[in-house]
Amino acid sequence: MDILLSSIVAGLLIGMVLAIVALGLTIIFGVMDIVNFAHGEFLMIGMYTGLLTAQATGIDPLLTLPLAAAVGCLLGILCYIGFIKFLLRGPMIAQLLGTFGLMLFLRNLALLIFGSEDRALHHGILVGKSFDIGMGIVIPATKLAAAGLSVLSFWGVWLLMNRTRVGKALRATALNAQGARYMGIPTERMNALAWGIGGGTVAVAGALIVNFWSVNPFMGLLFTMIAFAIVALGGFGSVPGAFFAGLVVGMITEIPGFWDFLTYTFNLDWMAHVPMTSFKYMWVYLAYFVIMVLRPRGLFGWKQ
Amino acid sequence: METIKNTLDFSDFPRIDLIGAGLVLIFLLIFPLLPLSAFAMATMIQFLMFSIYGMGWNTIGGYGGQVDLGKAQYVGIGAYTTSVMLIRWDIPFWVSMPVGVCLAVGWSFIIGYPLFRLKGHYFAIATIATSLVLKDLFEVWGFVGAARGLEISPIKYRPPDFLRLIFKEDIYYYYVLLGLFIIGLLYINWFRKSRLGFQLRCIKDNENVAQSLGINVRWAKVKTYAIATAFVSVVGSFHACYIKNIEPEDTMSLSISILIALMAMLGGAGSLWGPIIGAGILIPLKSYLKEWLGAKAGLVGIDLIIYAIIIMLVSAYEPRGIWGIVEKVRRRKRK
Repeated sequence: MDILLSSIVAGLLIGMVLAIVALGLTIIFGVMDIVNFAHGEFLMIGMYTGLLTAQATGIDPLLTLPLAAAVGCLLGILCYIGFIKFLLRGPMIAQLLGTFGLMLFLRNLALLIFGSEDRALHHGILVGKSFDIGMGIVIPATKLAAAGLSVLSFWGVWLLMNRTRVGKALRATALNAQGARYMGIPTERMNALAWGIGGGTVAVAGALIVNFWSVNPFMGLLFTMIAFAIVALGGFGSVPGAFFAGLVVGMITEIPGFWDFLTYTFNLDWMAHVPMTSFKYMWVYLAYFVIMVLRPRGLFGWKQ
Repeated sequence: METIKNTLDFSDFPRIDLIGAGLVLIFLLIFPLLPLSAFAMATMIQFLMFSIYGMGWNTIGGYGGQVDLGKAQYVGIGAYTTSVMLIRWDIPFWVSMPVGVCLAVGWSFIIGYPLFRLKGHYFAIATIATSLVLKDLFEVWGFVGAARGLEISPIKYRPPDFLRLIFKEDIYYYYVLLGLFIIGLLYINWFRKSRLGFQLRCIKDNENVAQSLGINVRWAKVKTYAIATAFVSVVGSFHACYIKNIEPEDTMSLSISILIALMAMLGGAGSLWGPIIGAGILIPLKSYLKEWLGAKAGLVGIDLIIYAIIIMLVSAYEPRGIWGIVEKVRRRKRK
């Protein structure tokens, strides 16, 4: 029973972080119909920002969040103005391969600068601490903080989208770019803003994840694929969808835990021999495929 | 008879194209006789392999306009079928290759049918997902060597072994591959003028119109997807005999799928010469950059940075590729 409970808790916690990873992707897709393959690379850059600042200055990694957000935001806007703007004129295949080129560029730049070895944080107030809340459930403090701060920043972005003038303009651009332009909304600037928000939130997610995950230049693709799965499940372009889908996908990444639970409960021998942890992310890809085929709009989607 | 005539009929191209193609063909035929390094030979084989991959991709991606980013899974199916059959049961290449094609095409029908409910971005990402699922499965499947892969040991056979395609010198591989290349080119030349080819171009331009003309859109797409798969799987089988050491990471990874699509797009998707031009530019560039900058100057990753910049420039400024530029120039001249 405790395996089941702790798997559920771990799934929910990681799901909240994954939700903020996917948030930027869904906003960018919603506003300008472009699939950003470089999304995971932004996360990786956020992780390096958090890690290197914390190591260089000795401050707690959680205090580097504003810096990571600023770096991600700037990088997003820069990418839009310098590159994505030109892609939007081309056909879809050019957009796909173009953002893929961006991903390759950022990844190998990181490889050139930082080297290929894994790096991890070893200091910080929360690193290594955990809460035992009974029933055998142990929550690492870093994951709890990351989940809490993710929800907080998610809420912040939701407020920005739904309670401000800028957010209204952004949503108008997403609904109908041409109509928005006629109403005097500077859609170019809205696109840049979407990339800024996208880059900023995912870099924050990176600075949170670096507390409990080591970083190397190649990790981006995994998170890009997870983010795709979340966005597909939640519905392309839907912000609340990204949150709930994030929780679901967080649960999916904990399938090995549930498998262990079933193995021990029913005491089945053959189940113990299945190398379930190797399949950990396969379920995410499979979920993506099944969702897309059965319900392309996702749970909360409005774009077809 | 009509089919054979159509296959060999290149007369709708301008004469300058045909002269160029003939010169390239002569160059390809005499290339091994030139006194060049083994590295150049290996690069050339890579070029031929990727131009066949590109031709296959071009049927569905270029003529049909369906961006497929999961071709690597069929490279993997072909390569694994050939090496498993050779290692376990000593079945020669010329038998295992058709078996690999059948398996790959069967798999393509299984996933293609649901996949083609999707369009555009959704289709592209879903193909990536299926490819990654298959790769993850192969990485833990003990029968095919899991993550360490399979190794064909050349000592057991006596090269040159034309049945099993085990050779010592690259020159044999080169000519076998060149044969496949020419067959592939002729097939595509037939394909683009076939009924299915015209249907596909109609689907690419406007799917609703295609449907109202009585074309079974989904079936046409699935059929073409299977054709593209067959191309990729044949070269996958060849890859297994040529490299002799296959693992999931270098046969089924996403970067192979992307490279295939990229090459066709760089050259010009939807034209006969496009994938060949694209492969002819990208493959030498990639391997020589890696050799000079990566290995000699010790700058890890710089080759891929330059390569990424090329991708970004092409996709931002000339999304129709090099063939698109050529056609633009020609149109301007005619005016």
